[in-house]
Amino acid sequence: MTSGSARTGLSLLSPAFLVMAATLLAPVVALIVMSFWTQSGFEIDRTFTLANYSRLVEPGEGTVWYGIRFPLAYPVPAVLMVKSLAMSLVATICVIGVAWPMAYFLAFRVTRYKAMWMILLTIPFWTSYLLRVFSWKIVLGFNGAINSGLQWLGLIREPLEFLLYNPLAVMITLAHSWIAFSVLPIYVSLEKIDRTLLEAASDLGDSRWKRFRRITLPLSMPGTIAATLLVFIPTVGDYVTPTLVGGPGGTMIGSLVQQLFLRQDNAPMGAAISIVMMLIIAVLVGLFLWLIGYGRIRRRIG
Amino acid sequence: MQRVKFIDRMAQGKLSRREMLRSASAFGVGLTVLPRVARAQGGPLTCLEWGGYDAAEYVGAYVSKHGALPDFSIFSGEEEALAKVRAGFAADVMHPCNYSVARFVNAGLVNEIDTSKLSNWADVFPALQTAEGVVQDGKVVMAPADWGNSSIAYRSDLIDPAFAADPTWAIFYDEAYTGKVSMLDNELAFQIGAMVGGMPYDEAYKLSGAALEEAAKTWGAKAVNVSRFLWNDPSEVQQAMASGEIVAAYAWNDLVKNLKAEGIPVEYAKPKEGMFTWFCGLTMLNSGKADPALAYDFIDAWLSPETGKYLIESSGYGHANMKSFEAADPAEVAAMGITDPEAMMASAILFRTPTDEVQVEHNRVWGDIKALKM
Repeated sequence: MTSGSARTGLSLLSPAFLVMAATLLAPVVALIVMSFWTQSGFEIDRTFTLANYSRLVEPGEGTVWYGIRFPLAYPVPAVLMVKSLAMSLVATICVIGVAWPMAYFLAFRVTRYKAMWMILLTIPFWTSYLLRVFSWKIVLGFNGAINSGLQWLGLIREPLEFLLYNPLAVMITLAHSWIAFSVLPIYVSLEKIDRTLLEAASDLGDSRWKRFRRITLPLSMPGTIAATLLVFIPTVGDYVTPTLVGGPGGTMIGSLVQQLFLRQDNAPMGAAISIVMMLIIAVLVGLFLWLIGYGRIRRRIG
Repeated sequence: MQRVKFIDRMAQGKLSRREMLRSASAFGVGLTVLPRVARAQGGPLTCLEWGGYDAAEYVGAYVSKHGALPDFSIFSGEEEALAKVRAGFAADVMHPCNYSVARFVNAGLVNEIDTSKLSNWADVFPALQTAEGVVQDGKVVMAPADWGNSSIAYRSDLIDPAFAADPTWAIFYDEAYTGKVSMLDNELAFQIGAMVGGMPYDEAYKLSGAALEEAAKTWGAKAVNVSRFLWNDPSEVQQAMASGEIVAAYAWNDLVKNLKAEGIPVEYAKPKEGMFTWFCGLTMLNSGKADPALAYDFIDAWLSPETGKYLIESSGYGHANMKSFEAADPAEVAAMGITDPEAMMASAILFRTPTDEVQVEHNRVWGDIKALKM
């Protein structure tokens, strides 16, 4: 790259970089610093210590959660971390499972009024995230849409109680809230596929299924991976959804961080858990990309 | 012009660090660099209130004098409100209770109330004027306003008649009622559990260490598992009661009153372990930006007999002003049963103030118990 184009690149990047530095980098640095402090009562002790981190891995009597042993003195963060990751994973798989066919339909079957379809797709964004989550409370509730519908049809006599206030409700709500986010990246990568490749495959004797498996699916991977990360990363730390539809059984790691900051007078511990959560997610994402051979895919398509 | 000069001086490097910082603080950036500076008084009055109390009827005199309600911020528990203020939320008035006001005082957030500025103070029950919580270290830190009960509300048409015959707090820990009851989302869940197990409240509220862990494991976990949901929002539990989603709940007097007004068969139990009583009031916080005169107007409006009349008639709570009981509908007053706060506190268990250490420990243990529910 010449120095001229480097300068152009940097100046194009700088507005976004400045905003990121002020609104993301600075708070994260503050969080990291805070995680090395301690708090007792209303007082924050600013001497550097690793106490919060060692507390997270300190061995102890522990607890058993769904048959998994957590031999830790303070098992709550570890349990919630595992639970949040599992719930997000399920939600992400559901999202990709629903969004992929939608994107495929949009890219290959819709030929006219594409703009209208795109607008239709963004309709969920016209209401706020909070309202969309809250509306699930009404849909899944005791007297909600599903229960009254089933009762009206005569399929059930008593309302179903397992719909709300559990991990299932959280996963349903998360999946619904994030579908629209994942359709677009998948759609873009499907749209980019050179149609002549598909024709060539057919001409050379590939069946429809083989053609799909050998061309469409691999070429859609960048978008699908982007969509997966776009859904998985934010949902692990989601706080609003478990609070509204989760009940105590649907608690996730974000709720614990909130608790530590606002109820338990232990902001430094909350900060430490946030940092550990970020690191775990970063490692998992790195592992995921390595496992599916993301670099190889990039090279082949690029 | 000021702005251009500032930029010029900055470009020429003539600006001192102090001036730079002061300018940055105008942007809010300085908030992270500078210690807190005294703020100008004159903002709107901001009140931290319980859900439901954010209505004009409770502060009629304030609204007619100032033309509008103050800004309300709703909280569902005092610890949440405390954390919010400590995190920098500028509130002028807070509505704590006898057992929680000390937390705000200990955190150094409370201004003394000059009762001579409250025209209705003379009519407040003398027992409340000097009650524990109202006066601390010889200073009035909370103007008592409302008092009432905490007990079990139940649907008389849906509940097991055995419970109605002999009501007990054990219903929140009884697996037979799983998914049918709702406990308050509060550490009271295991304190009351310990009482069901035979411990007097005077010990249960200050449990700590191993005994606390034990009580939390036994009773807290049961409460979490048996409750359909742990309630934070009074309207949520009220709707669940009305629809029959739950048949019993931890409740304050107003829930029973409201549901009865809707024609729903609901009763307020007198559990054999005892029912609770509390009184709450208004505290002036030093974090506020409004003129203290506004806060005094707000508190005085709350203490007025008109507010008391509305409180008694609409929610079934008691009021701190003695004249409220003369102004209110005699039938409503009679329905309350006890109309003297002193007699009320003698007849039920008054919530107590734990030490800060115990309160924080209870918060933590309760948070952990909820998080580990499967």
